[in-house]
Order: sequence, then structure tokens, then C-alpha cells
Amino acid sequence: MTDWDAAALVVTLSRALRGAGVPVTPDRSVVAAEALMVLRPQTRDQLYWAFRTSLVASHEQVAVFNRVFAALVDGIADPSDSRGDPNAPASVGAEPGPRRADQARLRSVESGGGDTASPWAGSAEESERSDDAGAEMVLAAASPHELLAGKSFDQLGPEELADLRRLMAMLTLSPPLRRSRRVRRSRRGDQLDVRTTLRRGIRAGDYPTRLAWRRRRMQPRRLVVICDVSGSMEPYARAYLQFLQCAVGGSNAEAFVFATRLTRLTRVMRKAPAAVAMQRAAKAAPDWSSGTRIGHALRTFNREYGSRGMARDAVVAILSDGWEVGDPREVGQEMARLKRLAYRVVWVNPHKASPHFAPLAGGMAAALPYCDAFASGHNLTAMREVAAAIAARR
Amino acid sequence: MSEAQPAPSILAAALAARLPDIASLQRELNAVDYLTDEGLATTLFLGVRMQRPILLEGEPGVGKTEAAKALARALDTPLIRLQCYEGIDASEALYEWNYPRQLLAIRLAETRGTHLDENEMFGDAYLIRRPLLQALEHPGPFPLVLLVDEVDRSDHDFEAFLFELLSDATITIPERGTIHATCPPIVILTSNRTRELHDALKRRCLYHWIDYPTPEREVEIVRRRVPHSGHDLAVQATAAVQRLRASDVQKPPGIAEAIDWVAALRLLGASTLDVAAAERTLGAVIKYREDEDLVRARGLPWLVGGEAGG
Repeated sequence: MTDWDAAALVVTLSRALRGAGVPVTPDRSVVAAEALMVLRPQTRDQLYWAFRTSLVASHEQVAVFNRVFAALVDGIADPSDSRGDPNAPASVGAEPGPRRADQARLRSVESGGGDTASPWAGSAEESERSDDAGAEMVLAAASPHELLAGKSFDQLGPEELADLRRLMAMLTLSPPLRRSRRVRRSRRGDQLDVRTTLRRGIRAGDYPTRLAWRRRRMQPRRLVVICDVSGSMEPYARAYLQFLQCAVGGSNAEAFVFATRLTRLTRVMRKAPAAVAMQRAAKAAPDWSSGTRIGHALRTFNREYGSRGMARDAVVAILSDGWEVGDPREVGQEMARLKRLAYRVVWVNPHKASPHFAPLAGGMAAALPYCDAFASGHNLTAMREVAAAIAARR
Repeated sequence: MSEAQPAPSILAAALAARLPDIASLQRELNAVDYLTDEGLATTLFLGVRMQRPILLEGEPGVGKTEAAKALARALDTPLIRLQCYEGIDASEALYEWNYPRQLLAIRLAETRGTHLDENEMFGDAYLIRRPLLQALEHPGPFPLVLLVDEVDRSDHDFEAFLFELLSDATITIPERGTIHATCPPIVILTSNRTRELHDALKRRCLYHWIDYPTPEREVEIVRRRVPHSGHDLAVQATAAVQRLRASDVQKPPGIAEAIDWVAALRLLGASTLDVAAAERTLGAVIKYREDEDLVRARGLPWLVGGEAGG
């Protein structure tokens, strides 16, 4: 392979990866080109590994990389990689793939194509319009907002949803503090800061006469929000997604959605305008509005994230109606495990407010014994109670 | 100070001479009993030759830390390990002055009526070198391996600081001036993905996700690591471990657990894995009570023999 060939291949592959949603920056392309020069790959496998180690930056990107690499280098798409993904591009660049919207982000988001059925797609347009509206509005101050505050999320029209987004952004989500391992100097500290005391002594060329004190820094706990976007939650999905985005605005928060499988949304929702975030969320989780497998989703969370440290000492909020198509016992088991990991577990069920509600849905009944708080969160006023439950101490 | 740094091409040439191709790296890793597949070998090879940090991720127990140790052994170069934890800061990772000792020296000088000048005060004797400074001060000629373990446990501030340090291979100690690494280390970072690392750091690194090894390779690893473990025992135990990984256990056993288990079985004199032997040694592979319940519910015959249990 000549150097020119290598450069052309790197450029083509990088571009195809970007098109498929893997953020390959120019400096990564340079790394890939350099890798080819050092490695001088002779076989397909060598080429594969040289590209993969330099262009892929996380485990989630490996499947997409495999698909793009196969399409480009072997000239064939590996059907097993796009199994169950109706939006997967058949060949690279041939049709707008599921993540094409990323590129078009700041343009008005059209809900055309196969995605219109998404209950989230609508919210993108609605909230887009209201992006530049004044933010000085006080939560539920004026009368229309009072109305809005008490109106159930499943009754909202498009304009009300737009208002809701702004109001929701004013909810303050502040999980309780915990002691950090970091210390800071403080006059009212409770530990003697020996090093600083001695250093001051040295500076003054004298005995350490002025004592320095320090205390443990306090830090907000991590907030993990896991939202059910299955069919039965559809009327609430838009409002809850806005809640999710409001949550990841905090520096130490994580967002997940699930119906049949768990999808981590923290990255797609953070640092994006609301409309784009909603659109991206809908693309990232292809299983919206399908059946619910709460137990399975919780197990995935516990295994992949929770027990590795994400849930430890964190506040975990689960937004779901508790309708489980799987075995409710699994919900119980996984909730028990989650409770052992987390600081507090808050369950938000929009049906709780209904006068006929009893937590009889299999999954809900199994989960309840392990919840520290059970809130309704069916309208804005109730969401404030959710915020309070998140801020509560154990 | 930068004149002291060898021209990059000299270092690159030395690295190229030491590691001409991937096969040679695989051979040397093999010689220190670390078996790799082509993917990991490629990443390690490119990391060394391109002098880029390597970011390793993977399930707990697939040998991320071991990869760094093995690379150091294979290259016959020192390993410096920095274990990250929440709240780690520069004074714990880079350097710190030994204040009590400085103070004592001042007092001593005073009682003797001598004078202690500033250069002495901030001399080597009073500098506590933490892992990162040790790694940067490595004189060479061949770079050492710096392992930054579980970088996801540190916080954002520290990650940013680490990024700076890795980019420039330079640090400034106010009292002494700027120290430029004469022979920048081979850097390996590991992460358990408890939080997402910053893009800038990821962009700088070569990335590799370590998968569980294939059954054949795992048998080979176990046999290398547990002397005198018979072939049958290693095959059976490894198959049982793979069965556990495919089941619903909360903590799927890693390679380390497989090795521990076979070692435990060997100590008890077992030459094959049967129900009685598994019963006595289950604690070496199963670390949660719920997992033990699950295994017992399916039955130990399932575990040891792969028969469908109850």
C-alpha cells in the first residue's frame, strides 16, 4: 500500500464513521495514518486493529466501527451487526442513517421519514420554537402556568409542552451532599492542617505559631435518572424526557431510558439545545414505545454501570408505571441489589395520582419494598415533589 | 532544559530497534506468560512505537492492569503505578515537599549557628517524589511503563491535570523550575467506565476494549499461571467459568477468578472438576450470595458438567 493509498483510506473511513455517528476528529485521522505508517499492515486483520485502536474511543462505538469497516474494506455489510436495527444503513453513505440528524443539528428538525411515529419527535419541534423565549418566568407564577402546573402531563397540547420545557428547567435538582475525600482549608475546619501550619512556619522562618485548619469538602451526590419509554408510558414520555435533560444539566448526573433494553443518554442529551437533545434521544434508543422489561433493564444497569460505581452512594430516580412483561421477581431482585448500592431510590409513577391506583402491577408491587420514596410526578406540581424527594436525606 | 531531551527520532529509532513488529512484541509477552490476541498486541505495539498513551477498558478481571505489568516485564523496563481514587490530587500523584524535615533542618541550622540557603532547603533531600514525577524523571535510555490505574475514579480536575502532563511531558515545580522528561514514559491508562472520561483525554489515547479470552486461550492462560494444573482440570474449570459468565450471575468471574479457582482445586488435590470439588471451592469463583443461590438452584452438576440443571 502506498502512502497515498493509506491517506485516502484513512480519509474515506473517517468520513464514513462520522456519517455513522462516531465522532472522528481530524487529529484522530492523523493518528490512524501514523499507525498505518508504523504498522505497514499486511493482512485485513492488521488493518482492522490499526484502525480500530486509533479511531474508536469507546466500547459502544465498536459495533458501528465493525459495520463501517466491513462495508468499506470488505465491500459487504455484516448483517449480524445491524440485526434488530431497522434504521441501520445498508451501505455507507447510501441513505441517511439513524444519526444523520446529528450533523443537521442546529437546523430546524424535520420529523420526516420513519421516525414520525416517535412520541418524542413532536416535542423537538415544539420546544425549538420557544428556545429564545424569556427565562425570567417564575415557576407557576402567572395564571396560565398555574393551570399548567396542575394539568396532567398526558393532557398537554403542543404549546403547553413548550411552556413546560421552560418551567421544568427551573426545577432545581439538588441531591443531598456527601463528604468528599478532598479537603479544603477553612478557618472553621475541624482537622488541623499540619502541612500548611508547618509551611507557614517555614515561610516566616519561625516556629509554626499560626495553626491552619481544614475540613472535608462537601459535594452533591450523583443523580441517576432511569426513564421508562415503553408504550404504556408514551403519554408522559415527552415531559419526562425534558425532565431527563434538566437532570443531566447538573454536573454529576446520568440519564438512561429503557423499554426492552437500556440506553445511556447522558452524552447525547448534555450540552445540546433541547430540541436537538430530544431528537438525538429518540434516535439513540430505537426501542421506544415497545414492551417493558423493567427487570432486565435494571439488571443491565446494575451490571454495566451501577455496581461499577455509578450507583454507589448516588440518588437513583426511576420513572416508570411498573408494568412489566417479564418476571416481576426479577424486578424485585434487581431493586434489592440497587437499593444496596444506592444512597436512596426514588420511584416516580404517573399513575399513582389516580384515585383508583393501587400498586398492583406486578413490577410495581415487587419494586415498592425497595423504594425510599414513591412519588407521582404526573404534573408539574407533582414534579416539584419529585425534586424534593431527590433532595431528601436518608 | 529541553536540550537534555534526546531528539525524538533517536528515541523512535531505539523503540523501532527494540520492537520491530507486532510478532516480536507478542513473542516477548508470551515469554513473560502474558498471552495476547492480535488486537491488544496491536494497540500495545502502536502505543510504544507512536509514543501515545493507551487507554484500556474491559470487564473487571480481563487483565487490564496485568497488560501494563506484562508489557513492562516484556520490555524489561521499570513499571510505575499510580492508583487513582476519588480526591487524588497533585501532592499525592506528583510531588510534595517534606515540610517536617525542612523545619527540622532549619532548627538544626539555627542551633549550630550555620545558615541554610534556599537551594539546600528545596534540595532533593526534601522532595517527596510521587509516581508521576518519578516517571517523568526516568533517565532512560529506554522509557519505563507508567500505569495510571482506574483513572475514572479520579475527578475531573485531576483528569485535566493528567491530560496536561501527558501532553507536554513537562512539569513545573515553582521552587526548582521546569522539569522536562528526558525519556517520556509509555503510558497505560485503565478505566472501569464508572464515568465517561473527557473527550480530550480519549482523543489523545489509543483505545482498546479487552474482551474475555477465547476458551482455548483461557485454558492456556490458566495452565501458565497455575503450575502443575493438569490439562483436564484447566479445561473443565475454564468451561465452568464460561458457563457462569453466560449465566445471570451479578459478578461474572474474570480470568483472575479462573486462576484462583484452579489454584484452589490444585491445593485440595483435585485432578478433575467434580461436584464435590466444586462444592468445596465455590468461594473462589462466586463472590456474591445471590450468585451462589443462583448456581445452587441450577445445580452443581450443571456447573461442572454443563448438564441442564433444575
